[in-house]
Amino acid sequence: MQNMNTAPILQIEDIHKDYGTYQALKGVSLSVRQGEFIALVGPSGCGKTTLLKQIAGFEDATSGRISIDGRDMAGVPAAQRPTSIVFQKLALFPHMTVAENIGFPLKLRKVVPAEIAARVNEMIALMELKPIYLDRLPRALSGGEQQRVALARSMISSPKLLLLDEPLSALDVKLKKVLQSELKRLHRSVGVTFVHVTHDLEEAMMLADRICVMRAGHILQLGEPADIYYRPADAFVAGFIGETNLLPVEITRRGKDRVEYRGTGIADETGAIPVRFIADQVGTGQALMNVRPELIRRIGPGDKAECSMNAQVTEIFTKGGTVQYRAHTPEGYDLAIEIQGTSDLPMRVGEDVRLGWAKKDIWVLPAGAA
Amino acid sequence: MDHSVSRNWRDPELLLKALPSVLLQTTCFIAPLLMTFLLTFQRTRDFQLRWTWDLATWTDVFTKPHYWTILGHTLVMAAACVAISMVIAFPIAYGLSTRFKRWENEIKILITFAFITDATLKTFGWVLFLDKKGAANFLLAGLGLPPESVAFLFTDWATLLGMVYNLLPFAIFTLYLSIDNIDRNLILAAYDAGAGKWRAHWEVTLPLCKPGIWAGSVLIFLLGVGVFLEPKVLGGGTSPMSAELIRQTFETRVNWPLGAALTLVLMTVSVFLVLLFTRLLNMKRAGASA
Repeated sequence: MQNMNTAPILQIEDIHKDYGTYQALKGVSLSVRQGEFIALVGPSGCGKTTLLKQIAGFEDATSGRISIDGRDMAGVPAAQRPTSIVFQKLALFPHMTVAENIGFPLKLRKVVPAEIAARVNEMIALMELKPIYLDRLPRALSGGEQQRVALARSMISSPKLLLLDEPLSALDVKLKKVLQSELKRLHRSVGVTFVHVTHDLEEAMMLADRICVMRAGHILQLGEPADIYYRPADAFVAGFIGETNLLPVEITRRGKDRVEYRGTGIADETGAIPVRFIADQVGTGQALMNVRPELIRRIGPGDKAECSMNAQVTEIFTKGGTVQYRAHTPEGYDLAIEIQGTSDLPMRVGEDVRLGWAKKDIWVLPAGAA
Repeated sequence: MDHSVSRNWRDPELLLKALPSVLLQTTCFIAPLLMTFLLTFQRTRDFQLRWTWDLATWTDVFTKPHYWTILGHTLVMAAACVAISMVIAFPIAYGLSTRFKRWENEIKILITFAFITDATLKTFGWVLFLDKKGAANFLLAGLGLPPESVAFLFTDWATLLGMVYNLLPFAIFTLYLSIDNIDRNLILAAYDAGAGKWRAHWEVTLPLCKPGIWAGSVLIFLLGVGVFLEPKVLGGGTSPMSAELIRQTFETRVNWPLGAALTLVLMTVSVFLVLLFTRLLNMKRAGASA
């Protein structure tokens, strides 16, 4: 993260976008620093692609303001914005060769052919494409190679913002992994600000400096990957990021540095949680205790844990390096547990166990609708 | 396991499979053509066909410039019809697949209705409209223009108007299909790369609907070469085209061998031209990507 002190490269202020009566964006504000890699994440229909279209200039917002590098973008057409987009389906021009595709933005800027050729060669070197592909049509290339061509075409005009509209979603898992690390490498080497739209949170976690979780036209949470993962703003964010355990608790008293609570079936000697493990929005009353499956372990007879629960193991899934368990508590909750490698205390289906976790692994969030 | 189609002509199984197609092609296409070809070597006397087997008809065809003038005129008219139809149809097809997408079906139904209405009826309709005392002149006189401003009925221009009018739907629909097939994101990608509306049009939309433009052009050219109604009704028969000449030769002059020969000449020249242009276009394309 370079240039932390400079003005934001992208400033979005209270953007609304209506399609007829449907509100796709309901007041989104976002500030992106120069050189940052930001991911817009959310389920389909959350407004992430709509937001990207506003930034690219394909659509006008109903109200609100977008400025790029300090310049208001209102009325500036896509062609004149310092942005470049990589489409989900790449949108390589099928009638142009790879070289013509990559060089197209420069051709439009009336750059002399010799310089275009030189820049195209630079780009294919950067994208690790073979020079023999230059005279081929895009359809003769594999999916991964086409991705690189699309990235090269977007990067050649040195945009201030590179917008990525789920460009990796159509690829198979193996190729996706390769291109994800390519993207990360590219981002580091060129220093351009990336805005990456994806519905794949794992991808966002891997790539982005900051993640912006969206739902139904709102931003739910904006933060670094670890923030989103361990300190989700609400039950929706917690559940969207991956399987998690949300245990209902009742906050009885909110003190200065600790909060007293009661949880059904949760054994806790102190009955209190330090406030730093509690979301700001949580008051007294109903709340949810979020515990990630990989942070729960089995407790042996002599062992102690800050929080613990009795449960019966109902299912075991072995997933290579990790083993996932399902356990049913007498209170009627189903807990997910994930254990890395081989455990000292293996569990069997049907076995009654005690499960425990530490206070530092807790995050208490408001009991909103998920 | 080899699933590729065998191309060996001596493969009995292949021959058997191809039999229905071969029979159909032979009876419906090759046999009539062959008959037409054989007919050109005969003569008619006293309105009777005589099986003489000589080259008199072909000598006639190749020595009288009159036939070739008409053929040339026909080709020019068909080519002009192609050019005008494409210029008119492109914006219509483009609008249909973009701006007027919402009323797409209604517009298509209207065009189809106009299209399936009997061509004779429509052509005579144009006569009424373009006549000295017709609707067009009446309306223009109402706007204060001098009487008989529209005075091109019974000229080649009226013929061309009728041809374009009757053949336009072929152009609209072929162009519509190819424009509608273009991924909208490609246009957005062109804008994103820095292209204005016209530039994106020129660099992306037009090249991508080349196949549609070509298919529509071939269709209209071949249909345009074969029109006889428009030159007769709207052109007033003053400047006949090949199809009308052929019809007269068969019907009025009852000279079947000559009619057959003229038919073959028209067919051969048209097909040759289409193939020539296709080849030229492909060469250009191959040259561009090399």
